[in-house]
Order: sequence, then C-alpha cells, then structure tokens
Amino acid sequence: MLTYILRRVALALSVIMATLVSTFLLFFAGPADPAQAMCPELKCTPERLASIRTSLGLDKPLFQQFTEYFSGLFVGRDFQYAGDTVHCSAPCLGFSFHTGRPVGEMIFTRFPNTLVLTFMAVIIFVTVGVSIGILAATRRGTSVDRSLIGFSQVFGSIPYYIVALLFSLYLVTLWGVLPQFQSMDKGLLPYLGGLIAPAIILGLVTSTSYTRYTRNSMIDTLSMDYIRTARSKGISERTVLVRHGLRAAMSPIVTILGLDIAALLAGTLITEKIFNVDGIGKQAIDALRNDDLPVIMGTVLIAATAVVVMNLVVDIAYSYIDPRVRLS
Amino acid sequence: MENPLNAMPGAAFEIEAEATPPPAVVAPEHKDVRTGRSPGQVAWDRLKKDKVAIVCAVIILFFILVAIFAPLLTALQGTDPTTGLPASPDRTNTDLVDIDGNPLVGMSPHHWLGVEPRLGRDLFARWAYGARPSLIIGFVAAAASTIIGVTLGLLGGYVGGAVDRVISWVVDFFLSLPLLLLVLAIVPIVQLRIAGGNDLTAEELSTIRFWVIIAVLVAFGWMGLARLVRGEVKSLREREFVQAARAIGVPTHQVLFKEVLPNLVGPIIVSASIAVPAYITFEATLSYLGAGLVEPTASWGRTISDAQNSFAIYPLWLWPSVIALSALVLALSLLGDSIRDAFDPTSRR
Repeated sequence: MLTYILRRVALALSVIMATLVSTFLLFFAGPADPAQAMCPELKCTPERLASIRTSLGLDKPLFQQFTEYFSGLFVGRDFQYAGDTVHCSAPCLGFSFHTGRPVGEMIFTRFPNTLVLTFMAVIIFVTVGVSIGILAATRRGTSVDRSLIGFSQVFGSIPYYIVALLFSLYLVTLWGVLPQFQSMDKGLLPYLGGLIAPAIILGLVTSTSYTRYTRNSMIDTLSMDYIRTARSKGISERTVLVRHGLRAAMSPIVTILGLDIAALLAGTLITEKIFNVDGIGKQAIDALRNDDLPVIMGTVLIAATAVVVMNLVVDIAYSYIDPRVRLS
Repeated sequence: MENPLNAMPGAAFEIEAEATPPPAVVAPEHKDVRTGRSPGQVAWDRLKKDKVAIVCAVIILFFILVAIFAPLLTALQGTDPTTGLPASPDRTNTDLVDIDGNPLVGMSPHHWLGVEPRLGRDLFARWAYGARPSLIIGFVAAAASTIIGVTLGLLGGYVGGAVDRVISWVVDFFLSLPLLLLVLAIVPIVQLRIAGGNDLTAEELSTIRFWVIIAVLVAFGWMGLARLVRGEVKSLREREFVQAARAIGVPTHQVLFKEVLPNLVGPIIVSASIAVPAYITFEATLSYLGAGLVEPTASWGRTISDAQNSFAIYPLWLWPSVIALSALVLALSLLGDSIRDAFDPTSRR
C-alpha cells in the first residue's frame, strides 16, 4: 500500500514539476515582451524599457530566472521595483505586469468567487443529475426513461458556451428574470443572487452526464442478486432503492465527482466570462488580453496542481475501497 | 491413376460447394443473422436501422453541402441594387449602413439575412461560408489526433517497458493541464512565432491562425484515444492469435496492422466520431473568447461573439450562426452516440 501511494505521489510531483518548467519556457521564453506590457504609455523610452527588464530580472539568463521563480515558490524572493526592494513571501508567484500586485494575492482574492460558484453548481448538478438518473433507472425502458435520457443527451450535446450565452443574454440581460453578478461589497444576498444564473446553467449542463452515469450505475446495481434478495425479504421498494441500490451505485459517481470539482475550479472560465463573475477564470482571460504572463502562469500552475492533487486523492481513496487497483 | 486422385478432392469440394447454399439460405431464419460478419458490418447494419442516426446524418450532409456550395448559394441572392455588386462574404459595403453603422437593409431578396451592422457585409454569405472552417477544423483535427493517438497507443501498448512508461507519463501530464486556458494562451504565442515580424495581409494572418488552431487542438486532443488504444493493445498482445503470429515470425508491423489494429476499429471510429463535434465546439469557444479565428475568415463562433452585444436589436446577426452551430454539433454528437451504441454489443436502445 505504501509503495503504491509513494509511486502515485512521485508521479504527481513529476507532473506538477513538468507543468512548471513547460509553462515557464513557453511563456517567459515566448515572443511577447513583458516590459512592453508593463509600460502601456505610448512613449515608452528604451531606457525605461531596459530598467523594467532589469527590475523584473528579464535580462538574466533563462535558467537563472527559472531557479529564482522556483525558489520563490518555497522561500519567497525579493524584487527590485522602481528603486525599492519589495519582498514577495512564499509561495511567491511573482507580480502582475499589469497591476503590479502580487499574483498570489490576486488569485486568492478572486478564488472565493470561483469556489462559491463551483460549490453552487455542484449542489445543483449532483441533486438534479442523481435524482433524474434514479428516476430513469427505475422506469427503465418506459417513455419517461427515454424522454429524460433523450433530453439530457440533447441538452448536454449543444455547445456549452452557446447555452450559457443565450441564457445570460435573454434571461439575465434582456428580460432581467435573474439578477446580474455583484461583488461581495453589495451584501451577501445580492452576491449569492447574482451567482444563481451562472450556477444554474453550469449545474444543469454538467448534470446531464451525471444523469447518464447514475442511470447506468443504478441499472447495473439493481440487477445484482442482493437486490433481489432484499426485495424477496419484503423490504419496501423505497428502502431497497435508497439503502441497498443507491449506496452501492454512488461509489463510481463519487470518483467522477472528485475529478469534476478539480476541473470545474480550473474550468469555470467560460461561465465566468459570460456572466461576468469576478473569479480566477475571468481574471486569467483578462490577463491574456494584457499579456500579463505571471498571472496566466500562476493560474495555470494552480489549476494543474488542483487537478493533479484531486487525481491523487481520488486514486488513493479508491485503492482503499477497491484493493484490486493497487495490484495493477 | 493420377486423374481420380486429383479429381477426388475437387469433386468432394464441388459437392460441398453445392451442399453449402441451402444452409446459407436457411441461416437468416435461424434468428442469428450476425454469423460470419465483421463487427463493422454488424455496426453498419444497426446504424442503418437507427432513425436518430439517419436524421443526424442528413443534417450533417446538409451543412457539408452548404459548405461546398457556399459560393453558389451566395450567388443565388443576385446583385445588390444599391451597390450593383454580387453578394460576397468578405466585401464591406459602407453604402448599406448609415453613419452610425446601423444597417439600412433588412431581410430582403438580395440579402436573405440582412447585412452586418457597421461593415455592411452580407450575413447570408458569411453564414454559408462560415460552415467551412467549422467542418474543416472538426474533421481535420479529428483525423490528425486519431492518427497520433493510435500510433502512440499502439507503440506504448505493444512495445511496453520504458517507451510505455514515457508515453503514459506524457498522457498523464497533458490530461492534468488546464486545457482551455493553455490553448487560449498558446494560440497567440504560436501565431507570433510563425507570423511575427513578417509583413502579412489580414487574409494570410487569418489562414495562419486557422492552421495554428488545428495544430494546437491536435496537440492537446490525442491523449484520450492513446490511453484507450494502449490499454486494448496491452491485453490483445497477450492473446493467442497475436502470440501465434509472433511465434511463426510475422514481422512486427504486420502483427500490429494485420492482427492487432483490426480489433480496434470499433473504439477508434467511435472515438473519432465523438472528437469531431468536440473540436468544432472548441474552435467556436476559442473564437468566442478571442483566441480563435480572426477576420476576415467567416466563422460562426466569431459571428456569435461579434453579435452578442446587439443581440436584442439584430437577432438575425446572432441566431443563424447559433442555430447552425448548435444543430451541427448536436447532430454530430448524437451520431457519435449512435455509432458507439452500434458498436457496443450489449447496448439496446
């Protein structure tokens, strides 16, 4: 067991490390000039560009830049900025070229918005997806089953951004059925109210795949011998479904859920952009527009780490549930 | 002496050959129609009976025809009475918009969907031509990523050892990256690397961007199939028929292409058919988020992005592209699901 965990941790660490190196090479060695991005004024003298490059350490050799960035993640580092020394404490992701603020702080102040949105969407897609899945499984083969599955297939197949965009344009912008996103300063209720629209659409579209997982898993479970045994003992159908069926059917779904939450934390980009939610996804898109490399890199790094860590947790948890996994 | 000996087997064969037809005729009545047919043929027969699949295929065919005959369809609108020029997807007509950029022409015989606000380009022409990039990107990227995925999967699964470990690691690595964000960041970087510094026209830049998008999509899209093929090959190579082929000295490439690969046709076709709508969606999403196709290429994703701010005043700008993109992706996805069911012996709809 310990060897298995150690091997998985080593693999996860190597993947995170590779993400770090490759994004660094890609962005920092890329052709976009960060000094130009920091100096948006039209008349940016060569001297000023050069001094920005020096203060960012962009004139140093690539390898040295990388080791500085890397050690900054663990012990923090000092920047020379406009004559002053600015300390960036660990984990240091550098300073935004655009706003001059520490990237770590920028990401963590936006992160709660993404987190709340993800959490609300998870509640919606788990309840909607699982209950429709159970309904379809228990009515298997009937017209109810066929129409539920057919609808979820159609709804889940239309490009997500179009569904979200139309929902936002008509229900939020044009008809004002649902409120627009507002920041936390306006109070908790308007804030949560503004997240309803994006959470509903993200939750409903994601729920379509959960409907299908749940239905298939439930059908497999309900055809097991022990379910027949339970029924023949005279236990009520409701108890059979929930206590005997659902509990066993949920274990593969919990696995997928773990991975999906990690993917959502990194992937609410489209939702945040369309509904104008001030989360890390929208921040990353804005950073792309401004060539703000440290912000993009920090977001990529955190997103990749979240996916890798969730993968690891799910794998290890699964190896406890199902001992066969360890042998492969 | 020789004659009867030679004739004997031949005669026996002929007798057998004559004896065979009756059971062959009886076979279909014997319930099991599937005897002696490849999984591909079985799937094809099931697919032909699937009504959803037929409807989807018709919709896809419609868009393929629109893409092919876009110039012809555009020409059907005739010449515009104001400008005296035939409709074209690229030409801006400032005569057709007022000073604020509001279009002066709505739905009319010469502009079936009206003209674009601000630039006055014919919206129907842009819609018809817009089918092209979507379809080309979908099919080309799916084909290329299938080839890469199958090759790497075969290599990892069959060779095993260090090669397999490296390929599996790369697959794990790519799968943990935040795909959309990275693609958004990489497309402009690659574009700059290729086109940076050169003095290129908007058309040339647009073409370069088109191929950059395909390349980036392929670079990030092959992992799922590689992992699937690797797993299948790993179990297939231990099977008796593959062992037998290797034992009698069949060269490796022949074992791979004649023994192993034919057993994977089903999963590969299914994976490729699901990839096409996924790539089309991805391209449209990229175009919406600002890292996709650029002007002057007509693209549904771009049109939706441009039209979203005045959707309430000019629904004809937004909706044709929204409907076309949704219908095409939906038809391709549902057809992919049907193909998967057709190849799956346990499925029953």
